[in-house]
Amino acid sequence: MERELEAAEEFAPPGRRRRPGGRRWEGRMRTVRSSLLPPLGTEDPAAGGPKGEKLLMRGCTQHLADNRLKTTKYTLLSFLPKNLFEQFHRLANVYFVFIALLNFVPAVNAFQPGLALAPVLFILAVTAIKDLWEDYSRHRSDHEINHLGCLVFSREEKKYVTRYWKEIRVGDFVRLHCNEIIPADVLLLSSSDPDGLCHIETANLDGETNLKRRQVVRGFSELVSEFNPLTFTSVIECEKPNNDLSRFRGCIIHSNGEKAGLHKENLLLRGCTIRNTEAVAGIVIYAGHETKALLNNSGPRYKRSQLERQMNCDVLWCVLLLVCMSLFSAVGHGLWVRRYQEKEALFDVPEADGSSLSPATAAVYSFLTMIIVLQVLIPISLYVSIEIVKVCQVYFINQDIELYDEETDSQLQCRALNITEDLGQIQYIFSDKTGTLTENKMVFRRCTVSGIEYSHDANAQRLARYQEAEEEEEEVMPKVGTVSQHGSTGSHQNIRVTHKNQSIKCHRRTGSLAEAKRVSMLSKHTAFSSPMEKDITPDPKLLEKVSECDRCLAFARHQEHPLAHLSPELSDVFDFFIALTICNTVVVTSPDQPRQKVRVRFELKSPVKTIEDFLRRFTPSRLASGCSSIGNLTANKSSHKSGSSFLPSLSPDNMILRLEEKLGQGAPAIASNGYSSQAAQAEGWTPQCTPEKCPRKEAKQQDRELRYEAESPDEAALVYAARAYSCTLVDRLHDQVSVELPHLGRLTFELLHTLGFDSIRKRMSVVIRHPLTDEINVYTKGADSVVMDLLLPCSSDDARGRHQKKIRSKTQNYLNLYAVEGLRTLCIAKRVLSKEEYACWLQSHIEAEASVESREELLFQSAVRLETNLHLLGATGIEDRLQDGVPETIAKLRQAGLQIWVLTGDKQETAINIAYACKLLDHDEEVITLNAESQEACAALLDQCLHYVQSRNSQSTPEYTESNVSVGFSFIPASTSSDSSPSPSLVIDGRSLAYALEKSLEDKFLFLAKQCRSVLCCRSTPLQKSMVVKLVRSKLKAMTLAIGDGANDVSMIQVADVGVGISGQEGMQAVMASDFAVPRFRYLERLLIVHGHWCYSRLANMVLYFFYKNTMFVGLLFWFQFYCGFSASAMIDQWYLIFFNLLFSSLPQLVTGVLDKDIPADMLLREPQLYKSGQNMEEYRPQAFWLNMVDAAFQSLVCFFIPYLAYYDSDVDVFTWGTPVTAIALFTFLLHLGIETKTWTWLNWVACGFSTFLFFSVALIYNTSCATCYPPSNPYWTMQTLLGDPLFYLTCLIAPVAALMPRLFFKALLGSLFPTQLQLGRQLAKKSSNKFHAPKETSAQRQPPGDSATELSEKKTMGPFESLPRDCASQTSQLTQQLACSPEASGEPSAVDTNMPLRENKLLEGLGTQASGPLRPEEAVSVECPGDSRRKPTSTTQPAPLSSLFHLPSIGSLNWISSLSLASGLGSVLQLSRSSLQMDKQDGEFLSSPPQPDQDLHSLQGQATGYF
Amino acid sequence: MEVMPQYDLSRLPENTALKQQKLPAHRLDLSASVVLSIFFATGGFCLCMGVILILSAKSTKELEINYTNICANCAQLREDSSNFDKECTCSVPFYLPENMEGNVYMYYKLYGFHQNLYRYILSRSNRQLLGKDIWDVKDCSPFQVSRNSTPIIPCGAIANSIFNDTITLSYNLNSSIHIEVPMLKSGLAWWTDKYVKFQNPRASDLASAFAGSAKPLHWTKPVYELDTDDPGNNGFVNEDLIVWMRTAAFPTFKKLYRRLKRVDYFAVGLPAGNYSFNISYNFPVTVFRGEKSVVLSTLTWIGGGGLFLGLTYTVTGALTLLASFAILAIHLMLKRTKKNFL
Repeated sequence: MERELEAAEEFAPPGRRRRPGGRRWEGRMRTVRSSLLPPLGTEDPAAGGPKGEKLLMRGCTQHLADNRLKTTKYTLLSFLPKNLFEQFHRLANVYFVFIALLNFVPAVNAFQPGLALAPVLFILAVTAIKDLWEDYSRHRSDHEINHLGCLVFSREEKKYVTRYWKEIRVGDFVRLHCNEIIPADVLLLSSSDPDGLCHIETANLDGETNLKRRQVVRGFSELVSEFNPLTFTSVIECEKPNNDLSRFRGCIIHSNGEKAGLHKENLLLRGCTIRNTEAVAGIVIYAGHETKALLNNSGPRYKRSQLERQMNCDVLWCVLLLVCMSLFSAVGHGLWVRRYQEKEALFDVPEADGSSLSPATAAVYSFLTMIIVLQVLIPISLYVSIEIVKVCQVYFINQDIELYDEETDSQLQCRALNITEDLGQIQYIFSDKTGTLTENKMVFRRCTVSGIEYSHDANAQRLARYQEAEEEEEEVMPKVGTVSQHGSTGSHQNIRVTHKNQSIKCHRRTGSLAEAKRVSMLSKHTAFSSPMEKDITPDPKLLEKVSECDRCLAFARHQEHPLAHLSPELSDVFDFFIALTICNTVVVTSPDQPRQKVRVRFELKSPVKTIEDFLRRFTPSRLASGCSSIGNLTANKSSHKSGSSFLPSLSPDNMILRLEEKLGQGAPAIASNGYSSQAAQAEGWTPQCTPEKCPRKEAKQQDRELRYEAESPDEAALVYAARAYSCTLVDRLHDQVSVELPHLGRLTFELLHTLGFDSIRKRMSVVIRHPLTDEINVYTKGADSVVMDLLLPCSSDDARGRHQKKIRSKTQNYLNLYAVEGLRTLCIAKRVLSKEEYACWLQSHIEAEASVESREELLFQSAVRLETNLHLLGATGIEDRLQDGVPETIAKLRQAGLQIWVLTGDKQETAINIAYACKLLDHDEEVITLNAESQEACAALLDQCLHYVQSRNSQSTPEYTESNVSVGFSFIPASTSSDSSPSPSLVIDGRSLAYALEKSLEDKFLFLAKQCRSVLCCRSTPLQKSMVVKLVRSKLKAMTLAIGDGANDVSMIQVADVGVGISGQEGMQAVMASDFAVPRFRYLERLLIVHGHWCYSRLANMVLYFFYKNTMFVGLLFWFQFYCGFSASAMIDQWYLIFFNLLFSSLPQLVTGVLDKDIPADMLLREPQLYKSGQNMEEYRPQAFWLNMVDAAFQSLVCFFIPYLAYYDSDVDVFTWGTPVTAIALFTFLLHLGIETKTWTWLNWVACGFSTFLFFSVALIYNTSCATCYPPSNPYWTMQTLLGDPLFYLTCLIAPVAALMPRLFFKALLGSLFPTQLQLGRQLAKKSSNKFHAPKETSAQRQPPGDSATELSEKKTMGPFESLPRDCASQTSQLTQQLACSPEASGEPSAVDTNMPLRENKLLEGLGTQASGPLRPEEAVSVECPGDSRRKPTSTTQPAPLSSLFHLPSIGSLNWISSLSLASGLGSVLQLSRSSLQMDKQDGEFLSSPPQPDQDLHSLQGQATGYF
Repeated sequence: MEVMPQYDLSRLPENTALKQQKLPAHRLDLSASVVLSIFFATGGFCLCMGVILILSAKSTKELEINYTNICANCAQLREDSSNFDKECTCSVPFYLPENMEGNVYMYYKLYGFHQNLYRYILSRSNRQLLGKDIWDVKDCSPFQVSRNSTPIIPCGAIANSIFNDTITLSYNLNSSIHIEVPMLKSGLAWWTDKYVKFQNPRASDLASAFAGSAKPLHWTKPVYELDTDDPGNNGFVNEDLIVWMRTAAFPTFKKLYRRLKRVDYFAVGLPAGNYSFNISYNFPVTVFRGEKSVVLSTLTWIGGGGLFLGLTYTVTGALTLLASFAILAIHLMLKRTKKNFL
């Protein structure tokens, strides 16, 4: 457990790159030796590594943890002490135990000591039983896992024998077969794969279902014979166990002193599944709890909700109240004692020695006794009840069928058990974009090659059709996607079946069934292969060009420079598609895995490992050596002469391929007879099939056998796109990639290096040897901003350079266009390396690879060195479609008063356009864009924006002063255009964000952001995301929710009050870190608006009720002190006193706390602004608490004095009088709860009935149980007697009524005179369920009635402005477009400067045309409005002052910014764009729709008179 | 904690009313009609109950005579505890203006006597009083043993402070004929107290059973001489003791002392006329500024009660009706404004 704690402390999201800077990893090292060797004796360990340390470590190696999984906290013996110890960490428990122990002090005891312990013991026991049960189930699952079987090499038997998982130790050799689950972290030493590769599926770890490649440790892969553990004498040095899944470093020291680096590619992690590889063997490096999988498991998180914090504060108030009451009684008692001190009253009980107590001592005793008697004030059952209620709430949220996603077969998961009510109080939502708002299903949309754009219109149409089809089918039947997914699942199921057979045959693997099941579930939605992504309709023009290339090359392939025959453009096209196909890490799989790779190695291992290797391979003698190495294939030497690695037709690999193709039915036999026959066929082939049909057909056929598994959906999309152009990736091995083209046949590229994608470089590259030209090519694919900077600078002197330049600027334009369309852009570039350059680079790269210490940095630098002087090929635009219902959800959430910020790593344009698409930004609102290049510029910009926003606010609504804003900006923008003064939106890019988050600027930034309707942070890093969340959380004291799906959102999710993970495409990391996991973004609406509201309102009401209940009950006891000389006497029997809270009155409130629905779900969804009650903490705020306390005091007075006066002049005894008081209290509580309960189900009735029944039956039984027991009350036959007394019934009847009448009265009065939103909603719900169902469309756009008055005035004042954007939009937007598109814009401030006046002019023109146009209805209204004279001139007459027509400050700021950028050369831009190209009929619809809906609740307010 | 949850083939939640939180529920709405009907009904009911209760309370007759100051000389005598063995009697004459019909109960009533003090309540031995183990005095602190260390029976502060005035009522038919009103000493305590909670030790002779014990400090005679006339009322089962041992809830309380034996003159109750209480004044109250009185009372079906309960009902009912009229007025007002509004 401690270890886990430690792990939790240093937990960092594994996705985040960790720079080892500063931390010396040598100090945290472990040495692993083979367990087969005799324990280290005197012989000196292998060289290398600091010896002293090693000797130190050796001791550790021997007692390293075995592979036993032990997640249980307790053993049988340690359970009681340990559990109690843990429970006493809770302050409340300590308090209650203290009180109970106080009872053992004779002078102050109030109850029988044993009895007083009962509730505490009860609470502790309940918790202990819960813990025990949890621990037991953990133990059971541990046991199951520990007893899984695995093949371990045995020293005695000299072969692999089956052992339990728990018996595996560090240094053991294990052998794993396909589809087995890896039992520990294993260093891969041998694989059945001839290339020393092994594929694993990491779904158990991170949920990613694509196959990852692992590689045998260098030095072992070359072994020809089977790996023999007995001969393994090397020593492995590696890091100490840590939880970073993405990193593993170490080195292996062979017995001859040779040293080789180890990295994460060599490590098989526990919990992953071997796939696609027949058998592997390795040495266990980390076992048991030291495995990365277990270190990463930090268990559920415990957060404290805001409500609970507030509650704790109120508990403290209660403590204070308790102390005050006790003090009061103590003083009272002291005075009382003094008064009777000398009187020797008969009732005075002196001390044992006959003396009477001094008043002071008596007071002290009384104080302590009072604390015991009044302890009920601090509700011991509160914490337990809250826990129970929360567990039930979580259960119900999990069970909500409307949060169930059919597509992924997943429902909402609550991972954090105790913050459900926080869902009802969220004020800020921080959302990731990709995968959260969008589906993260990448669809290839457009591309540009060599400066020519291919719009793929047909593809767009097809996508549109898909969408329609989807929408239609949603209503009728399951989706196409799921059907086809089932198809693809088939293969996996087959595997599973075989896997099961195997496992039954060989091992005792019953326990793995659960895991296998889970794996199969996850692989159901195998990555990124919906038909929408796979089927791409090629652009005919481009397809023509591709096939032309293909044919050309097929003819020219024997010639010296085949590519030279192509025009530069065609050459680019060809390279473009080759790059699309191979520049990735896509793994090709086919259903019949594990695949037998019997491929003969005709080349040395690749990638090139040493310089000698390189020299061997790249010198002219290479061919000879290459051929000699294969020997048996000398007959095919001719094919090698071409210099390509084009596979000989007779290679067994090809045979298999051909078999596969036969299965594929009628796919052209491509590689069968080599190129010549292909070429011959080519002529006949083209006329047979029209280019549109055939490749498609072919693609379809291959579709059945080839599946692409990519690490990111972009890659898969690009590969599928290339396949649509019949440039098909057919095979990817460790060292080669095969691409198939219709004419050229199969081209096999020798893969020299893959420089993987990382978020800093933002690009990836492959280094290949081109089979046609034998050149070494680098294909780079990456973010356009990065790649464009790395291009080979082209001189504008020669024509070619000019052409290049033109192409680039064209491409840049298209890129901008794509971005505007919301497409994700990628640039594809190429670099041809000469042998010398390559050799030079290789040298350093090999050094970097071999480096042990700073391998990562060196590799990074090495990659950067390679990726320069690129030649631009083209760019692609990939669409990331919005998820279903995102705009609607965002609109709803906004109506609910939530501020939505989008924090994305995407580029600004893309982000903005997605934001428009999901209605986060509105077309008729202003967008403030903040792009600053330096700290000063950022500060200045912020000031300017602030000034602008403020002046703007004061212009429209003068009362919006600074102080007002700082209180909390809760202006709710309407989705209709009737609201003419939308607050601006803020767009900020990563760099500016970094400046803005500096200490000096963060306040300004926040202040600005707070006034913006929405904030969009682009290009932000994970760290920035979390910083933003932290800032808002700490500075604005707001409740924040972060939602995201990827590893880059983990930090943000962890920082926010509520973290929501989307269990989507990008693995499970976000989900693992989250408190709630939803399948889709749209479920957030229901989660927050319905469940959040319910949870909050239920819990708030329950907590309030708890306080009320306890105060009222304690009040009864307190009033009695006035009549018993403050002697801490209680009229209520101690049994009732102690069990009242725990048993008699607890069930009804639990039922209400779990089931009460103050407003039905459909009403909440229709009126999202009802959510604001939670945000404003309307139900549980301090005044509510105190009002409640006052009411409790009043009720206790009534409930005390009515029975007091009723029994005043009677011979009643203390406890006979106390019993009716208890009964009255119970009835009052139940009635009070009845008033507070909004919905009555049979469960409520049962609970109330049960409570009453329980009280009376317990009382009756208790009162007959013993004639002499239970002093002092000695209650024999009390209840029975009372039940025969009419007075008892009469008091029990009147007291609760009298106590609750005022509450009911005031509630009714408030409800009719000043109804709250919630009450109105409730009435509306009642009404609508009674009479009619309001159409949803109108209600969706309803306005909160509270705002309608101000809105009305705003509408009048802002009348003229709202029409402005529509007319100016097109012009300004184009202008903005130009601004954004021109590549110089950022670099040359002069361009900005010259543009600005132009833009202003245009705006003026726009204004002119607008104003002279016919008056719009709204304007007409504003003219007629007599009370609003100051707006008249501007709306009627055209020559109004510019400043009033167009917000002057904005122009001023524009000028100012431009001058600023001139002066400082910073290129900062402030855009005030109210537009985009997508201005379309939607807006028109909005405009034409009458602004009626805002009256809904408002009119209700009028109708509400019928209700209270 | 390896995450290996069991995944069912479909995780579709069950669509039951409970799980979907769609149990048929009655929505409690404070609509005008509901609130008004609640208020009117409650108000009406309470008012009716109040009237009935007041009427029935009126039918009870009660007469209280405070004799603290009437017997001032006795009171003064008792203030000095050293005079505990001196007898003091006084007679309190009074006139009963009308007949008290039915069962008439005689109570003594103490003012300012705190029988509900925490330490006072505790100081008794139930086991002793049950007769099982009469030597069990451990709970009786500080009145466990007498000065010479013999256990006190009955022990404890409660028993020690027993009300020990003797009150007899005589009916003065005329100035010469004084008829002692026959009073019953039985049926004063709860049945269960007399027969379950309080029992004498099983012995042929009470005195011998209690031999070796001391009488409480304040007592003048031992427990087995409480009522020498009636062995069924002697010792622990003495009803005056039992009544006293049931500690009163408030500092002002009355305890049933005697009830009228309805024979002869008094077959229908106490006839109107001149009476006098003959009090043997033993119980000191003036030391703690207490008072004592004697009460004659009849009971109705609601018990003693008095006027209060009836008044409570009436007032509550009236207030509720008032509130409901207020609500009605507001409701009507809002309705009119709504008409204007629309």
